[in-house]
Amino acid sequence: MQGVTKSYPNGRVALRGIDLTVPEGDFVFLVGPSGAGKSTMIKLLIRDELPTRGEVLLDGRDLGRLKRREVPKIRRKIGVVFQDFKLLPNKTVRDNVGFALEVTGARRRDIDPAVDRVLRVVGLTGQADQFPNQLSGGEQQRTAIARALVHNPRLFIADEPTGNLDPLISWEIIQLLLRINELGVTVLMATHNAEVVTAVRKRVVALENGRIVRDEVDAAYHRED
Amino acid sequence: MVAFIGFSLRRAWQGFWRNGLMSLAATATMVLMLVMLSGLIILLTGLDATLNYVQQEVQVVAYLKDSATPQDVASLEASLQKMAQVTQVNFVSKDQAYRDFLARHPDEADVINSLPTNPLPASLQINLRNANDYLDVASYLNNQSPIDRVLNIKETVDQMVTVIGILRAGGAVTLVIGGLIVLFIIVNTIRLAVVSRADEIEIMRLVGASDAFIRWPFIFEGALVGLLGAAITIGLLFIGQGPITSFLSDYFKVLPVDAGAAVGRNIALIVLGTGVGIGVLGSYLSVRSYLIR
Repeated sequence: MQGVTKSYPNGRVALRGIDLTVPEGDFVFLVGPSGAGKSTMIKLLIRDELPTRGEVLLDGRDLGRLKRREVPKIRRKIGVVFQDFKLLPNKTVRDNVGFALEVTGARRRDIDPAVDRVLRVVGLTGQADQFPNQLSGGEQQRTAIARALVHNPRLFIADEPTGNLDPLISWEIIQLLLRINELGVTVLMATHNAEVVTAVRKRVVALENGRIVRDEVDAAYHRED
Repeated sequence: MVAFIGFSLRRAWQGFWRNGLMSLAATATMVLMLVMLSGLIILLTGLDATLNYVQQEVQVVAYLKDSATPQDVASLEASLQKMAQVTQVNFVSKDQAYRDFLARHPDEADVINSLPTNPLPASLQINLRNANDYLDVASYLNNQSPIDRVLNIKETVDQMVTVIGILRAGGAVTLVIGGLIVLFIIVNTIRLAVVSRADEIEIMRLVGASDAFIRWPFIFEGALVGLLGAAITIGLLFIGQGPITSFLSDYFKVLPVDAGAAVGRNIALIVLGTGVGIGVLGSYLSVRSYLIR
């Protein structure tokens, strides 16, 4: 991100002059109070919003200059999960994950093997035929992670993935994200979970009022001066 | 491409049945509106046919001088036949006029029989293609030597033409307004059905589905709603055909067409086209608001 400012039509300025570079294969925690601009940053990265000023470059491509029909192709390189999972309640785990392939035009015979592979990665092989309401919160989030992984993304974005989960389950999810990172995927995780951030010791980018106030490697949730 | 169409149709079918209640609401609205629309069309078709019939009944009646020779009359008749405004010319002889008078006024037979000669003139009765042409034909006849005088019904004709014009315009306006209301209601119902699946559209966008993959299943689903709604409507109209026809011929006494058969096919096509068209349009518009960003 180079000199990115984002203001909304209602006049609120969510991000001010953000410069941030994330090398491929990095693991970054995005922290800060509610309203600091974390969600806006994620929306810019998945090109759900466009920056008012500045450039958002992904793999060297300016997301603001993409043609409309190129947007879906970029999105397939990015896996996203959210606090509220966003699963379809009337589909099984397998179909929820397969949905991501189905709606992007994958051939049907290619879908099942790909789904089985990511379900093994997230450890949900045994629950493949259950519906979301039969799953625990952690299992639902793992289903969402599997769906985000099924396109083999280069960048994995998690927006408060543990916000709805208890501490133990949160740890499982973090472990899973770390494993995904080990597989070579760049991971960006926005979170409030201080305990996790401090324990994992990764790069921490702190936002406040739309500005980056801290950017440290091997860091804790709070400033340690 | 084939896979894409297969995918879209499959998803449309699933979407229709999985959201049973919304689909039912959309289809029911569609049926209700299409029935209203076809009712309006049937009524206006009946009105139009009646107006046409009334217009064709307008006749120019020209009385001939008793001195007019059969040759004069024949040549006048021939020249009238050539006029574009004229559909038919009938010659009514003095004897015929006398018999018509007796038939119409049997009580006054004594009066007319007391006269030394038959006072009733022979006449030409001219049917017009359009009542508006009355004045043209009447003034042409006034200048012809065998003609004694032309029966002056100009005011009556003018009034009738005005009333018919107002009725026609009113009918057209009613149809357009009715059509727009139907369009608006159905599009909104379909929009509700699409909105109830906003989360699905959001997920599709997030996982990188192209616009076509998001849009077409909904468009096919809209077409399905339209098709089903149209089929049910046509079924209802078919059942109601008998009562409708008898109602119409009772109501528009002079209706010269059989509303059941001739109009029926047209209405079926209109219902089908409107249903599918509105279904597709409604889906297209509803999904579009999610795709534009």
